[in-house]
Amino acid sequence: MTSRERVLSTLNFTNTRERVPRQLWSLPWANEHCPEMMAQLERDFEWDFNGPDTVLKEYPATKGDPYTVGEYVDEWGCVFTNIHRGVIGEVKQPIVEDDDWSDMGRVHIPEEVLSFDIDQVNRSCEQKQDKFLFAACCPRPFEQLQFIRGTANLYMDLMDPAPKLLEFMKRMHDFYIRLMEKWAKTDVDALNMMDDWGSQNDLLINPRLWEEFFAPMYRDYIDIAHSHGKKIFMHSDGNILRIIPRLIDLGLDAVNSQLFCMGVENLAPYKGKITFWGEIDRQHFLPEGTEADIDRAVDLVYRTLWQDGGCIAQCEFGPGAKPENVYRVYKAWEQVRNK
Amino acid sequence: MSILNDISENLQKGKAKIVKELVQQAISEGIPAQDILEQGLLAGMNIVGDKFKKNEVFVPEVLVAARAMNMGSGLLKPLLAEGGMKAVGRVCIGTVKGDLHDIGKNLVKMMMEGKGLEVVDLGTDVDPETYVKTAIDQNCQIICCSALLTTTMPVMGEVVKEAEKAGIRDKVKIMIGGAPVTEAFCRQIGADKYTADAASAADAAVEFCRASA
Repeated sequence: MTSRERVLSTLNFTNTRERVPRQLWSLPWANEHCPEMMAQLERDFEWDFNGPDTVLKEYPATKGDPYTVGEYVDEWGCVFTNIHRGVIGEVKQPIVEDDDWSDMGRVHIPEEVLSFDIDQVNRSCEQKQDKFLFAACCPRPFEQLQFIRGTANLYMDLMDPAPKLLEFMKRMHDFYIRLMEKWAKTDVDALNMMDDWGSQNDLLINPRLWEEFFAPMYRDYIDIAHSHGKKIFMHSDGNILRIIPRLIDLGLDAVNSQLFCMGVENLAPYKGKITFWGEIDRQHFLPEGTEADIDRAVDLVYRTLWQDGGCIAQCEFGPGAKPENVYRVYKAWEQVRNK
Repeated sequence: MSILNDISENLQKGKAKIVKELVQQAISEGIPAQDILEQGLLAGMNIVGDKFKKNEVFVPEVLVAARAMNMGSGLLKPLLAEGGMKAVGRVCIGTVKGDLHDIGKNLVKMMMEGKGLEVVDLGTDVDPETYVKTAIDQNCQIICCSALLTTTMPVMGEVVKEAEKAGIRDKVKIMIGGAPVTEAFCRQIGADKYTADAASAADAAVEFCRASA
């Protein structure tokens, strides 16, 4: 069985005998601080996911490096301030300053990222066809709006949105739709999207606002993927328990979120309905836990959420994580089906 | 008094302009500033805080309510100062050194102001010395430390040690919070209080201030 077949059978809940598919998320920090463990992970584990090499005819203007100390300007013109090498910074100065969004013309919608050639992408896909391949695009409407406007300002704007904010959201969504549609025409296996929706305890915004403004966008992205025979994955940090059933209703195939923040047991009702794309607790177990804690955590996730599929072995190797614990996550997942 | 109820209700809905107009009207009608503050603005924020604690309202509702409170309290400040009204207590708050995340910290600040506390906001990336110096210079009863990253949480322990070093540990309470922070961590570093949400932090701060009054 190839990696691609393994992932597909897991997403389709028909993985009766194969190992659990795996993917490592590593921040540049891990390469800088733990190069030996990164090498060991590469040596000891086969990773099931990849993505095509993608060449753009035209690149959007950015400034700086998002992972170094200082200032970074992203494709939309959002300015990030960073005080830690190896991780990304925070937006401190919004581009849109007017409460009525009348200065929204200052935002650059990065149409350049649509300038890839489908044939070139497909040639790259062919070379990596044993792996499960992700598209190199990732709509993040809620987060990008925060980067543009500032988090607190955006939250307040959403309570009584100005016509120009609604107009901007429509333009942003139109851009993301065109991006997803173009990627859906390539030979990748899955599209993906992200937005951090949870605080530690619950959603960041009222579910009513989520339903009104953002669920329709996600539904469109999901529909694009499925109408082209692709799977679709989403990352969303925090406690998103409240919207998991809605994401399932919308047809999402796999979600990456903080299982332990939500309580793994609370996710049991969704076993067999969606694939949990990781993770293992990076707030406590990865930085502070013992290897026995990691074994128990993986076992809990497997016993609670696996049903001939529905789990992907994944964790984030970033600041604070003990290297040996990251390694243990994958070792435990490798062994879990043999118990 | 119905106008005070109206202030409270409109504040809960985040209707800042209406709150400001109603506060102005209440002042014109001769209602004491302290009553407008306590029975109108703070009463409204208390309800918002309670609902937030129960996950009945979310961050945006708190933000617009706090914005409305600020619009109203701006009109009251000179009158309250004239009347010699004192805040419930004074707190200094910041996100710890190495951490630029401030949504949680700002929420705690708003909730505390909504309880009548005076809050000195030190911003983000705050070193332990600054917390302690501010507490001394501005006579704060409480230091509040926020962190989102597991890598910056240990700075909270340094704040506790810095307060001990400066000889103010018995005069100041140290409260901590943030996504990865736990009660066990609070005990481990010798801080006084961990709270899981902004509204509970404000309640705890008021209790500390009243106990030390």
